[in-house]
Amino acid sequence: MSNLLSVENLTMKFGGLTAIDDLSFDAKNNQITSIIGPNGAGKTTVFNCLTGFYKPTNGQMFLHQEDNKISLRKYTDFKIAYVAKVARTFQNIRLFPAMSVLENLLVAQHNELMVASGYSLFGLLNLKSYRDKEQLAVDKARYWLDIIGLTHRADDNAGDLPYGDQRKLEIVRAMCIEPRLLCLDEPAAGLNPKESAELNKLLKFIKTEKQTGILLIEHDMSVVMGISDHVVVLNYGKKIFEGTADQTKNSKEVIEAYLGVDE
Amino acid sequence: MEKKDIIQSFKDSLFTGLIALALFGPIVGLRTASKGEGLFITPQWGVVFLLVGLCILGRFLINLNSARKTEITFFSKFTSKFSAITEDKAKHFAITAILFAVVFPFLPFTDRYFMDVAIMILTYIMLGWGLNIVVGLAGLLDLGYVAFYAVGAYSYALIATTFGWSFWICLPLAGVFAAFFGILLGFPVLRLRGDYLAIVTLGFGEIIRIILINWYEVTNGPDGITGIPRPSFFGLPFKRSPDEGETSFHLFFNLEYSTMHRIIFLYYLILVLALITNYFTLKIRKLPVGRAWEALREDEIACKSLGVNPTNTKLTAFAIGAMFGGFAGSFFATRQAFISPESFTFIESAIIVAIVVLGGMGSQTGVVLASIFLIGITEMFRDLEQYRMIAFGGAMVLIMVFKPKGILANRKPTILMHGDKK
Repeated sequence: MSNLLSVENLTMKFGGLTAIDDLSFDAKNNQITSIIGPNGAGKTTVFNCLTGFYKPTNGQMFLHQEDNKISLRKYTDFKIAYVAKVARTFQNIRLFPAMSVLENLLVAQHNELMVASGYSLFGLLNLKSYRDKEQLAVDKARYWLDIIGLTHRADDNAGDLPYGDQRKLEIVRAMCIEPRLLCLDEPAAGLNPKESAELNKLLKFIKTEKQTGILLIEHDMSVVMGISDHVVVLNYGKKIFEGTADQTKNSKEVIEAYLGVDE
Repeated sequence: MEKKDIIQSFKDSLFTGLIALALFGPIVGLRTASKGEGLFITPQWGVVFLLVGLCILGRFLINLNSARKTEITFFSKFTSKFSAITEDKAKHFAITAILFAVVFPFLPFTDRYFMDVAIMILTYIMLGWGLNIVVGLAGLLDLGYVAFYAVGAYSYALIATTFGWSFWICLPLAGVFAAFFGILLGFPVLRLRGDYLAIVTLGFGEIIRIILINWYEVTNGPDGITGIPRPSFFGLPFKRSPDEGETSFHLFFNLEYSTMHRIIFLYYLILVLALITNYFTLKIRKLPVGRAWEALREDEIACKSLGVNPTNTKLTAFAIGAMFGGFAGSFFATRQAFISPESFTFIESAIIVAIVVLGGMGSQTGVVLASIFLIGITEMFRDLEQYRMIAFGGAMVLIMVFKPKGILANRKPTILMHGDKK
């Protein structure tokens, strides 16, 4: 299995606080890599560095392509998703609540549609080439909605969906940009066991069917242990353990970090 | 409703009356009048009691309304019926409204005054539709929209008076200039949102006005620009006695000369301009850029995470909104034949924002209704002179009380997967 992402000596400091301290790890193609750790361990900060919301103090992040690798440090802001094709979801759901489910998925295909609409010119003239492209975009949205079983609600406002459906919608919205790396920030937070199981199914589907690596932050151990191929454990910004799910479960360091040490 | 509630709301209304008395007492009640040598105070207690009584009654009715929880007052019945009409039969309503607008100049009761008011309302509708792109769709609260109106008016006036080019050449140029200023404003405010953005745009509006006052060599300062050419009907001017070798409108069509011809032409001109604005907005809303504007209004961070370029998206919204402001400005200049910085004060921006917000953010029909309501009511009370602003404020309060989200606050998706269910 080829490497997809390598993080090398990543350090992020906020003033005197070191949120991430010399962190290195790899994530592979078609694998689910989980980052776990107690609250405040720096998990979301890693995501924010990867997806261009923060500029790391030190260190490198590379995304490997077929024959070359691109440095994620070079891209900030929207270019991470547009050029490097790294997509993410958020800990607190960030859909466009007053827009319909379908519109949410079309905004994710904004850049292709922008070109297809001739930067609005062809679109204003209502040319067939644009209408065809728009239909393709709708078909892609329908494909993903079929997978999460929300096709019948395509025309409803995203904000009106139940919480669990909003979570799933946010993930497929990120998938609509056809990412190479998908970063999920606590996708199972607030889900009931049934919804968690559905989420596992969706993530497994993405992992096996799409050329996408998944990076996952999660507290729900049933999700982490059920689907992770590789687990990275953080505590106070440092990597304290790395291995498979089973190895992690039995690791002394990890248990100590979560439960404390016997005096 | 229980007796206790009624007593409670009655007490509340009396308290409102007390506040009203404290406000209106000195402001309205004591009027200074000059008699002979000095100023004397003439009390107007009758008017004060009338106003206080109205406040008490109004508050009491509002209390009753909210206590019953169901909206049964005349006003909300009226507006809910209205939204029902526009929701179900949006197309029919729009066609009827446009047809009415087209035949309006030839209706028997239409006179010069009605035409002037109609032109004014249409100008505000066009400005409202233009600003709706920035505020309603992109969610960028712009309190300096009048700046683009001014840029359009001054570009038109300067180009037309300096080069003598026709209206139809100057109009797009004025739009381009205004769009350029839109981008100029857009750049520094890219990172701002909400209150901060509102303050900066407000400042921008004032900067433009102050430049217009002080740049005497170009703008003629507070004296304004006079003698702005009137538009012609495809080369036929509206003049009683045309110049040598020129044919005027009434001679060409063999009509009796009337000043109404020009007014009617101006009316159709602004009607067409406004409808173009509306058509363009409705179209672009369904394009990727329009959806990106709305997405930006909903959540900017999510937009970035999906690869939408927020800079370009915001700048296009500012530029296109400004362009339509510029078109409206050129129309204003050619209609008045005289412009000065006084026409472009903050209150104009405030009125346009009020029209957009009260109409229901992003609703095209709402803008029309709010313009008619706000400008129409203010015009109806013109005889009251300075008190007519009270009518304006009253209209705003009424909408805010009964329709806090605007007259028409329902958004239709730009694209449907399952087609229209109705």
